[in-house]
Amino acid sequence: MPIKIVLADDHPLTRAGIAEYLKREKSLELLGEAEDGLKAWQLIQDLKPDVALLDIRMPGLDGVAVAQKVKETGLSTATIMLTSYDAQQYVMASLRSGARGFVLKTVSPKELTAAIATVARGGLYLDPEVASVMGEREFDPEQLSTREREVLVLAAKGLSSKEVASKLFISERTVQTHLASIYDKLGSKNKTEALLLALKYGVVTLEELLED
Amino acid sequence: MLPPVAVLMVAAFAHFSQEKAMEAAVSSYVQDLAESMAYRLSTEVRLWNIPGEPFSAAIRYRIFSWGPSIPGWVAYINDEGKIIMSSPGAINIAAIWQQNLPIGSAARVNDKDGRQYTLAVYPVDRGRGYVVAAVSWDQLLGSLVKIGRLWPVLIVMVSLGSFWAIRLLWRRLISPLKGLAAEIDDLRMGKDIPNTVDPQAVKEIDSVHNALIRFAKAAIDRDNLRNRYVRDIVLVQEAERLDMAREIHDGPLQDITALLQQIHMSLEEGEDTHERIKKTERLARVVVRELRGLCDELAPPWVDLGLSHAMTELAERLSQNYDIHVSVDIDESFELGAERTLSLLRIFQEAVSNAVRHGDATEVRGYMHKEDDNLFFEIEDNGRGFDSSVDHEVLRLEGHRGLANMTERMSLMGGTFEVYSTVGEGTRILCVLNQKPLV
Repeated sequence: MPIKIVLADDHPLTRAGIAEYLKREKSLELLGEAEDGLKAWQLIQDLKPDVALLDIRMPGLDGVAVAQKVKETGLSTATIMLTSYDAQQYVMASLRSGARGFVLKTVSPKELTAAIATVARGGLYLDPEVASVMGEREFDPEQLSTREREVLVLAAKGLSSKEVASKLFISERTVQTHLASIYDKLGSKNKTEALLLALKYGVVTLEELLED
Repeated sequence: MLPPVAVLMVAAFAHFSQEKAMEAAVSSYVQDLAESMAYRLSTEVRLWNIPGEPFSAAIRYRIFSWGPSIPGWVAYINDEGKIIMSSPGAINIAAIWQQNLPIGSAARVNDKDGRQYTLAVYPVDRGRGYVVAAVSWDQLLGSLVKIGRLWPVLIVMVSLGSFWAIRLLWRRLISPLKGLAAEIDDLRMGKDIPNTVDPQAVKEIDSVHNALIRFAKAAIDRDNLRNRYVRDIVLVQEAERLDMAREIHDGPLQDITALLQQIHMSLEEGEDTHERIKKTERLARVVVRELRGLCDELAPPWVDLGLSHAMTELAERLSQNYDIHVSVDIDESFELGAERTLSLLRIFQEAVSNAVRHGDATEVRGYMHKEDDNLFFEIEDNGRGFDSSVDHEVLRLEGHRGLANMTERMSLMGGTFEVYSTVGEGTRILCVLNQKPLV
């Protein structure tokens, strides 16, 4: 059974290029194409694809908003953000909206196929170019303490240090100390990188991130 | 000038009329007196109409011993002009008596002390003798004469006072006002400064004039400032274009050239081009990454992720670029809209750049908190610091536009910008912004 796909991108040349990749690949089946967010959301509801490839910046409804709608309506479609922007905050925003993949448009057909296959299986796929800053070393989740993990999960949900502090009944300074220790253990330079690494190493799962 | 002149003219007319009226009254009085005396002394007139019995001499001449019962003096003179008889006090008549006085009419004469008299001469019994009647103006009209002399003096004094007051008014008020009006007419705002204040002018005009000078100076300052801004904008634009051209030249242009060379070689080699195409693909990726970086620099697309995420993204990028610790802590619920978020991003970017370039800072922290509708954004670094009491405008003129730019950005958003720094103690920047959108 090929993986059924809907593709949305407002740039016609890019869309045509990616569509050609997808059509060439036997394990994939392109059900429909959209040039804006609203059309994409319509196609996803009508065609119920396994995977939706969504550009982040589109007129009408942006990719993150479409992914949010998919998550909220409980459709089984897995969403992948397909973008020109390598900002890590886009990755975090995409993951929080329920997207399972983040791929740059410079991706090779092989990588794109791998990304689609991964998210269709329920996995998480981040473009190596975005993830390259994170390194490739092995990491044992046990290295983080329970408190550190709690702090990390709350921070991953987008809470500020102050909010994390009040949720865990600890001081803001303690939160900062925990974060510094987490960065150190994960080998990251900042919070976003720490969150992406934690997701990559399985310290935090995507489901935890999406919990209310 | 006209009113006091008119008053003076009317007063002069009134004065002469009064003189004339007084003279007429005194003349007719004296004439009556002289005439009645001449009648009384006439031997041809019979009193009480008693036939054949003229006035007795006693009755006739009694008047000369008693004097007339009304003010004045009378004297009887012969046809040679010699005083035969006179009433008491008529010695005055001798002093003022002039032979050539016309007979039958009144004449005005002054004695040697300047006192005025009016005399009248009437013939008795057809030239047998003459009656001279005289009256002193002072005696007859008394205070009327004094007042008649006083009020012209008063009027002249009042008129002179008015002349002086009007002249003063002209010199100190009207003339300076006319000067001021002419100056305002000719003043080219933003170019001229009015002349110095007229020293004669009253102090209220002085104040208005000084205010005008202040306005004119402010207009010149404002124009100069605007010109400097325009020049700054042009300079900054040119500098940015230069930067951009250099970035494109050193980056994507070189890469695409290399890419082209690879393609050319592939074409020439014909076969076994797989390795070369792989190289080409890598180069193309680099070009894309560089162009993306350039776009991010020009207009960060992640502004639309909202304040907190946009700031975090910037902080993490700056941290990587400068290889120092840069962090921000901003609540996700704080919202500002894309335009103001971008302004805060630029301010933070400038602050970090300053901290690294001028202060050698190794850590910069941004922190935002909210009180009522106000957002407080603080940026602290651990750099060398500087003397923050120096005027930003002075720094700007020296070519350091950073602080002035940040101040302007904040003021454009209706916010405030403050810098606290001491040499050797790092720098703290405080931006305060009302969260309500600008109307």
